[in-house]
Amino acid sequence: MTLATKKLSLTINDRVIDRIDVPYTMMMQDFLYEYLNLTGSRMGCGQGICNACTVIVEKDDGSLEEVQTCTIGAHWFEGKRVRTVEGHGSHDASGAITKLSPLQQAFIEHFSFQCGYCTPGFVTGATVFMDQLKRKPIARAELEQAIIDALDKHICRCTGYVRYHEAVRDLVLKTPGLLNG
Amino acid sequence: MHKLIWGVAIVAGCCALIAGAIFAGLFEKSVVAKGIEQPLSPDRMKALAAKGAYVAVTADCYACHTAKGGAAWAGGLPIATPFGTVYSTNISPDKENGIGNWTRADFHRALRDGVGKGGSHLYPAMPYASYRKMTPDDVDAVYAYLMSREPMRIANRKNALTFPFNIRQSLTFWNLLSLPGEEKAADNAKSAIWIRGQYLVDALGHCGECHTPRNLMQGMQHNKYLKGALLEGIIAPDITKEGLVRMGFDAPLLAGFMKSGISAQGAMAYQMFDVVHFSTQYMTDEDLSALSAYLFDLDAAHDTSVPPPAPKPVELAPALAASAHTTYRNLCSACHGAEGQGIPHVVVPLSTNVSLRLNDARNLVHTVLHGVPAQKFPGLERMEPMPSFKDKLTDQEVADLANWMRAVWGGREPTFKPEGVASIRQGK
Repeated sequence: MTLATKKLSLTINDRVIDRIDVPYTMMMQDFLYEYLNLTGSRMGCGQGICNACTVIVEKDDGSLEEVQTCTIGAHWFEGKRVRTVEGHGSHDASGAITKLSPLQQAFIEHFSFQCGYCTPGFVTGATVFMDQLKRKPIARAELEQAIIDALDKHICRCTGYVRYHEAVRDLVLKTPGLLNG
Repeated sequence: MHKLIWGVAIVAGCCALIAGAIFAGLFEKSVVAKGIEQPLSPDRMKALAAKGAYVAVTADCYACHTAKGGAAWAGGLPIATPFGTVYSTNISPDKENGIGNWTRADFHRALRDGVGKGGSHLYPAMPYASYRKMTPDDVDAVYAYLMSREPMRIANRKNALTFPFNIRQSLTFWNLLSLPGEEKAADNAKSAIWIRGQYLVDALGHCGECHTPRNLMQGMQHNKYLKGALLEGIIAPDITKEGLVRMGFDAPLLAGFMKSGISAQGAMAYQMFDVVHFSTQYMTDEDLSALSAYLFDLDAAHDTSVPPPAPKPVELAPALAASAHTTYRNLCSACHGAEGQGIPHVVVPLSTNVSLRLNDARNLVHTVLHGVPAQKFPGLERMEPMPSFKDKLTDQEVADLANWMRAVWGGREPTFKPEGVASIRQGK
């Protein structure tokens, strides 16, 4: 049996994917794993609830949006610019990671995760949160609640929430221009 | 000329007199019998309380008289009306804030006449137009049950209504125009099950309060009884036999839906979710069969289900079908299935879903735009949250998607317009 396919073009981690045949019904998560060997984002619940599977869509205005991949079809990403967890750090010419993003580094320094299954989703969600602060800074007094609101939808089963929270707070406080006053 | 002035003055005077008489309540008719003044003995109250617990469940008193996360029976639930917000009241037996000082007669007048202790009128957010049909025995039972609850010392919240609707006495006009007339004698040609079902639907369950359209005065349009109405942006569907068949129900399916909140036709949502949660799941199978038999105009309960045939799909323009089908595959199919089959115990099917078969696509579009929270149903049933797609889809895409799903699975013409989506997006 062959699945009916359709051409798909998009950019993932700055790599242009040009018109490859992808089944109509394939979810983005399967496309990342099976076609691109990008296995960083996690299949958790498969129902759009745990958010371990999320990736970033870079919009035309430069702002970032967090999108689930387990329940959204690969073809929804047609023409879009996508950043998976593999695309956050810096890479050398061979593709090896030379430096983690400041947020990934903060998660390591804070021992934020235990089993690490939810971490790609937290990296994605917190990166989008930092981008939102850069565009619209908030007051220090609002920060704790804002972190909770931003990361609330990410589920961690090893009780890592506090350390994720602390890592994000620490990085926001260290990064100029994210808070008012 | 003088004659004309006198004539106008006399007519105006008569109108003022009539209006004054209505305002003073001279035209109000109580359905409460005089004998109710006699208090019930403590033993009788005790004996009635157990029965009253079940009557109160079927009348769904708790859902309105307990705020979300609030104390039981202490009221405080906001109820939106076109004239402002009414807050449900404390009906626990607290003497200061609740009904602790209410006599049996006070309680009967409140439930059936819409007049509280001391003669102050209740707002018809309290469904006394339906409870008016309750038997005095059932009202006694609810009274005995509520008086056996724990008193809650929680003050009532002040209503936020606009003038002149904040004048309670003006409800004399509403009552005159909106309350049903004399009850007809029971139809002997009907079976006991049908008659019990009618009582459950019309009186205790007060189904008509939401499922019957209202006129300008916000009274129920009795000639369109149960024909469906718009309520807080959601359609409470037509639940006459014709409407229920259109939605894919037969009598046993409907009875099961009222018990579990889940069926092939979908999961109870919006206000009906609370109705199942607080009321119908606790109703006896006999009562649910009776309720269903009455709505399907049957004289006996039926166990064997023969669902109506699926609607015939409507052909769509190929370009619209292709683009909407792509949207469906990309955003809906992971949970609702490529063929709209859903996932048992997790996600409702769409191929047999009520909202695809209703006359209007409003409920479907509302759900696509605004989502539905995760829901816990009786037993072990759970439904995962339906996400909101308002940021992912344009008005045109939502209209196309809704039209496509309704044409393919609901047999409905693709008539919904992007302007309709825009209006629902804005909460209208």
